[in-house]
Amino acid sequence: MSYALEVRNLKARIDDLEILRGVDLAIPFGEVHAIMGPNGSGKSTLSHVLMGKTDYQVEGEAYIDGVDLLSMTVDERARAGLFEAFQYPTEVAGVSLEALTAEMAASNPDDDGFAERIAATTERLDMERFLDRAVNVGLSGGEKKRSEMYLLGVANPKVAILDEIDSGLDIDAVREVAAMVEALRSPQLGVVIITHYSRILRYMDVDTIHVMVGGKIVRSGGPEIAEELEGAGYMEYQVASAS
Amino acid sequence: MPQTPSGTTEATWLAERRTAAKERLGTLSMPSEREEIWRYLDLDFDPGFESVPPGPGSSNDDHVVTGWHGTVVSIVDGYTTSQGVASVGELEESVEIVRGSDLFSTAFLAYAPGSAYVGEALLETPVLVDIQTTGTATTFPGVHIDVPRGGDAAVVVRMRSTTDQAATVVPSITANVGDNARLTLSIIQDWNYATRSLGRGVIRLGRDAGLTFSEVGLGAKLGRLHLDVDFVGDGSHGKIYGAYFGEGDQVLDYRYFMNHIGTNTRADMFLKGAVADRALSVFTGMIRIEETGKRTESFQTNRNLILSEGAAAQSVPNLEILNNDVKCGHGSSVGPLDQDQRYYLMSRGLTPKRADRLQVHGFFEAVIEQIPDQHVAAWARDKINSKYITAQEEGRV
Ligand SMILES: Nc1ncnc2c1ncn2[C@@H]1O[C@H](COP(=O)(O)OP(=O)(O)O)[C@@H](O)[C@H]1O
Ligand SMILES: [Mg+2]
Repeated sequence: MSYALEVRNLKARIDDLEILRGVDLAIPFGEVHAIMGPNGSGKSTLSHVLMGKTDYQVEGEAYIDGVDLLSMTVDERARAGLFEAFQYPTEVAGVSLEALTAEMAASNPDDDGFAERIAATTERLDMERFLDRAVNVGLSGGEKKRSEMYLLGVANPKVAILDEIDSGLDIDAVREVAAMVEALRSPQLGVVIITHYSRILRYMDVDTIHVMVGGKIVRSGGPEIAEELEGAGYMEYQVASAS
Repeated sequence: MPQTPSGTTEATWLAERRTAAKERLGTLSMPSEREEIWRYLDLDFDPGFESVPPGPGSSNDDHVVTGWHGTVVSIVDGYTTSQGVASVGELEESVEIVRGSDLFSTAFLAYAPGSAYVGEALLETPVLVDIQTTGTATTFPGVHIDVPRGGDAAVVVRMRSTTDQAATVVPSITANVGDNARLTLSIIQDWNYATRSLGRGVIRLGRDAGLTFSEVGLGAKLGRLHLDVDFVGDGSHGKIYGAYFGEGDQVLDYRYFMNHIGTNTRADMFLKGAVADRALSVFTGMIRIEETGKRTESFQTNRNLILSEGAAAQSVPNLEILNNDVKCGHGSSVGPLDQDQRYYLMSRGLTPKRADRLQVHGFFEAVIEQIPDQHVAAWARDKINSKYITAQEEGRV
């Protein structure tokens, strides 16, 4: 059995700036993992590097369901089953959410489940009134996250990386997002939640927490890690990684 | 009454105007790129004013805008051919708003057979003015729209060629919008790629008059529109939109002047264009606020997408403000497709081609959705998208 996502010794830099310094991760199907770490530790970079953003020089290995990710273009990775919910979803003026999902379907002719998923996800996330609005334009923070969750539902990936899906949200919205993530749990999907607050983890169950500092995973363990971090913060690890 | 080029009689005022213009024409030469208003253009061609045809050629009667239900006024090679539509030459005095003293404006006065007069009698339903050129002759089509006080008019002007032959056209589109009246004017520039079109537009707005103007520029080897909107009446207001797409060696040239004369006038000008291959687009915008133009609000934005390495866009907004009690602003940009949008769309599984198509569609949508005539908007959207798709398929963008 292959992992939903497997990452081995992944490094990324922009010229002289080393951002990821050898990341190892294994996310089994059916599990929800969290990556926690302070601002600037490289969490968003990890998700962009996996998605294939071309800003970085990359070394190492990454596999989605056993298939090599790093040799693929961004759209090929998406069609292979990788979904990144962006920390800052890009606004696409003049393009409705409905037009976007139609193009997702058209780009993926081998997948005949789009129409059904579009209908079902629209209903489940109550998205009807957003369908003719431009993608991410003029949406509140919470609405943008909901829109990303909607596209995730439509895309039906094997791996979902949710980058700061809880940031900038009030407590009710955090609960709501946590419930949406919980609802995703399925034997066909591995989920990675990236966050720098433990707050969202109070409202959902995660299998494993990874702590990322200075471009590396410095510790992995059970949900108890979140409580420790809430008390002590990342100080201990930052000192350790600096030495 | 004196004779027109086609042998019919024309009003004395028009004959006199013609004679004076012909005299002046002899003293004028081709405008030069050194003049600001002609900057960036290569005007090294023979305008062929001697070739003005004696009458209209054979027109193409396909229905020009799918789903059109209003009145159609045909102008073929500069001659108004529709029954029941007056030429300004039949009016007792000139009502057209003639402006400009350069070679082309003067040639229009000298050679135009007489603009179609689109006045109250025609404006009960939307009017489509179908301007066609049928051959290689230089022609001078004109339309004058006269919206009476309190009236509400919708006019679409479509300019097209019935053949692939090279021609020079000097169109003139003028409008007088009376007090409390509204005009919705949509222009489609769809000449063939061999035609040079040196267009002039002048729109005068009365008190509290409103204008919604749009131009979609697709055709022509050189497609120029020099537009003046005069906000003469207090409280007059206008929205001016444009969408253009240039490819091959096309030059699309817009010189838009918003002239604020009355108090409390307001203008919003928003043009978006894309250029591929070796095409050039030019936008020079001017917001001119006279001393009398107290509490003017005027804004202009021009955004350009460069789709191929050899293509270029010049975008030069200007302000000339003689009154301090005003709000004005301008924005301008020239650049390639947005990398972040491409990345985001590809991360949703869209192929790079589909991602770029969607982005181009979205870029234009902000102006196309503002075109008030739904037929024109749908037509423009479809034409621009298919031009881009063809360019993609041919590897030109
Ligand atoms: N495109 C980029 N250009 C320059 N620096 C970058 C870029 N992407 C990330 N970085 C830098 O890499 C580090 C990690 O950033 P990021 O991955 O966004 O951290 P996190 O998501 O954990 O807050 C930061 O110091 C950031 O400034
Ligand atoms: Mg981040």
